[in-house]
Amino acid sequence: MRRGSDTRLIHLGALLAAAAIALSFPSMAPSPYEITVGIAILNYAVLSTSWNFVGGFTGYISLGHGAFAGLGAYGTGLLVARAGLPPFAALFTAAALVALIAVPVGYAALRVRGASFVIVSIALVLILLLVFQSWASFTGGSRGLVVPRPFPGMLRAEHHRTFYFLFLALLAVTLSAWWVIDRSRFGMGLKAIREDEDKAQSLGIPTYSYKLVVFVVSAAFTALAGGLYALWFGDLDPVFQFSVLGGAYMVLMALLGGVRHLYGPLLGAVAVGYALEYAKVEYGDTPLHLVVAGLLLGVVVMFMPDGVIPAATALIGRFRRSGETSIREVTAAELRERREQPNRTEVKDGERSGT
Amino acid sequence: MSEAAPESEPAPSLATTGLTKAFGGVTALDSATVTFHHGKVNALIGPNGSGKTTFFNCVTGMIRPDAGRTAYRGRDLTGRPPHRIARAGIGRSFQLCRVFPRMTVLDNLLAAVRPHGLAGQLARSGRREETERARDWLTRMGIEHLERAEAGRLSWGQQKLLELAGVLMSEPELILLDEPAGGVNPALVDRIGDLVRELNAEGRTFLIVEHNMDMVMSLSDHVVVFDRGRPIAQGPPQVIQSDERVLGAYLGI
Ligand SMILES: Nc1ncnc2c1ncn2[C@@H]1O[C@H](COP(=O)(O)OP(=O)(O)O)[C@@H](O)[C@H]1O
Ligand SMILES: [Mg+2]
Repeated sequence: MRRGSDTRLIHLGALLAAAAIALSFPSMAPSPYEITVGIAILNYAVLSTSWNFVGGFTGYISLGHGAFAGLGAYGTGLLVARAGLPPFAALFTAAALVALIAVPVGYAALRVRGASFVIVSIALVLILLLVFQSWASFTGGSRGLVVPRPFPGMLRAEHHRTFYFLFLALLAVTLSAWWVIDRSRFGMGLKAIREDEDKAQSLGIPTYSYKLVVFVVSAAFTALAGGLYALWFGDLDPVFQFSVLGGAYMVLMALLGGVRHLYGPLLGAVAVGYALEYAKVEYGDTPLHLVVAGLLLGVVVMFMPDGVIPAATALIGRFRRSGETSIREVTAAELRERREQPNRTEVKDGERSGT
Repeated sequence: MSEAAPESEPAPSLATTGLTKAFGGVTALDSATVTFHHGKVNALIGPNGSGKTTFFNCVTGMIRPDAGRTAYRGRDLTGRPPHRIARAGIGRSFQLCRVFPRMTVLDNLLAAVRPHGLAGQLARSGRREETERARDWLTRMGIEHLERAEAGRLSWGQQKLLELAGVLMSEPELILLDEPAGGVNPALVDRIGDLVRELNAEGRTFLIVEHNMDMVMSLSDHVVVFDRGRPIAQGPPQVIQSDERVLGAYLGI
C-alpha cells in the first residue's frame, strides 16, 4: 500500500529528526538553565505519557496521578536518605512499591466509572498530601526532604546534562511501552473498553483485569518519573509532590496533544511545559499561569476534543482528499448495487419453511 | 403449557430456573424457568416490556438476577461475570445495536479476538491469520468493502451486520440476538434470516428475540413466549401460532 509506506517514511523521518534535536539540545544550550527547562519538559512528557496509558487507552480520566509521582519521588528519596539504598536501586524499588500500591487503589477506583473515578482519584492525592505533611518525623513534612545527590563529585552543569539524558532515556522507554501496547491485542481490548465497556465484556474481554493491569503499568512509569525528579532536584515538599494541579497538568498536556496518539502527550508537554517555564521567568510564580492553563484546557476540550494532532491531521486530510468521495456516499451506492443483485454474496436464498 | 410432545428430547442449551429480576417495583423477570434447545434456532417472543431483554442481560451476566440460576449445556453459569460467560461460548447482540463507533470496521472484529497468555496479549493485533478470519466474516456479511471505514459512520443496517460479524469473530456456540430485524429494511431482514439459517446449519445454536412474526415463524424450531416476565407457552412455531394464550397475551387478537 503506497500511501501506508509513505506515511511510515514520514513518521520515521520525523522521529529521527526529533531524536537528533533532543540528543543535541544540551550541547547547543547556551547555559545550564536551558537544560533545566529541557529536563522539566521531559519530566512533564514522561508524566503525561504515563498518564496516557490509562487515559488514552481506556478513556478513564485520572486526576490522581500526581499521587503516584509523589509516591515515586518520596519513595526514592526516603529509600536513599533513610534506608541508605544506592540511588538507582532506590528508584526502581520505589517504582515497584508504587506498582504494588496501585493494585488496591486501582481495584477500588476502577470499579466506579465516569465522574466517580475522577473524584476517587483526586481524593487519593489529598489524603497522601495530608499524610506526608503531618508525618513530619519520617517524611520531613513541610520542611522538606533532602535527597542526597546520586553523583556527589559532579559539577552542577554536568549534573543537569546527565539528568537530561536520563530523562530522555526514560521517555524513550515509556513511549516504547505505550507503542507496544497500542499495537497489541491487549491494547485493542483496552481501546474497546474506551469505546463501550459493556460491549467489550460481552465479547469476552476481561475488562476489569485489563484496566487494572494498565493502571498499574501507568502508575509504575509515573513513579519512575517522580523518582528521577527526586534524584535530580534533591529536595521534596509534599505540597508540590502531592498536588492535584500536577495531575491536572498531565491531563491537560495529554488532551492538548491528543490522547489517541503516541506522541500526543509529548507534544502537549512541550507546549504546556515551555509556556509554564516561560511564565515563571517572565511573571514569577503568580496564579496567572493557572488561569492560562485553565483557559487552554477549555479551548481544547471545546474545539479539539481529540487534541491537536488529530485536529491537524484532519485539516491536512481535508486538503489532500479533495477528489475522493466520502465513506457515506460510497456506502450508499454499494448498498444499492448490492440490493439489485441479491445473490452476489455467499448468502444463499434459503427456502422458507413454515408459513 | 402447550408443549408439543417431542419424539426425542433435544439436548438442552441455555436453561434457567426461577430467574427473577425486579427494577424498583417493576418485576421484569418473574421466576422464569425455561430451556432452549442445543443446535436449534430458538425464538423468544412476547409483548414489549415482557422481560426479554432483561432475560438476555441476566443470562449474559450484564445484570445480576435477584434469584434463580442459569446453566449452559449443564454447566452452571450463575453469577459469572460477562466475559466468562462469553468465554463459555455465549455471544450476544444488543437491542440497540452496539459496535465500537470510533474503531474501523476491521478493528471492530480484531477487538473480539481472544488472546492466550502474556505473549498472546502483547502480540501485535491484526496478524495475518486473524485478519483473514475477520475479512472472511466481513465478506460473508457483505460489508468487506467497508473494512477501513469508521464503524460509527455506517448505516444502521450495516452496523447490525457488523455487530453480528463481531460476535461471530469471538467464536460463540450459542448466539443471542436481540431484535436482529429491528429497524432494518425488508431486504436486509431476509438476508439476516438467511444468515441465521446458514450459521445454524454450520452448527451454531441461536436464541432470537424478535417482533417480526414472519421471521420468527419461518426461522425457528422452538418458540418460547414471555408475558410479564415468565414463559406462558413454548413449542414449535406451528403450535405457538394457534395457542389461545399467546393470541390473547401477545398477538393481541
Ligand atoms: N435497566 C432498567 N432499569 C429499570 N427498569 C428496567 C430496566 N430494564 C428493563 N426495565 C423494565 O423491565 C421491564 C422489562 O423490560 P425489557 O426486558 O426491556 O422488556 P422487553 O425486552 O421484553 O421489551 C420493563 O418494564 C422495563 O421498563
Ligand atoms: Mg427488548
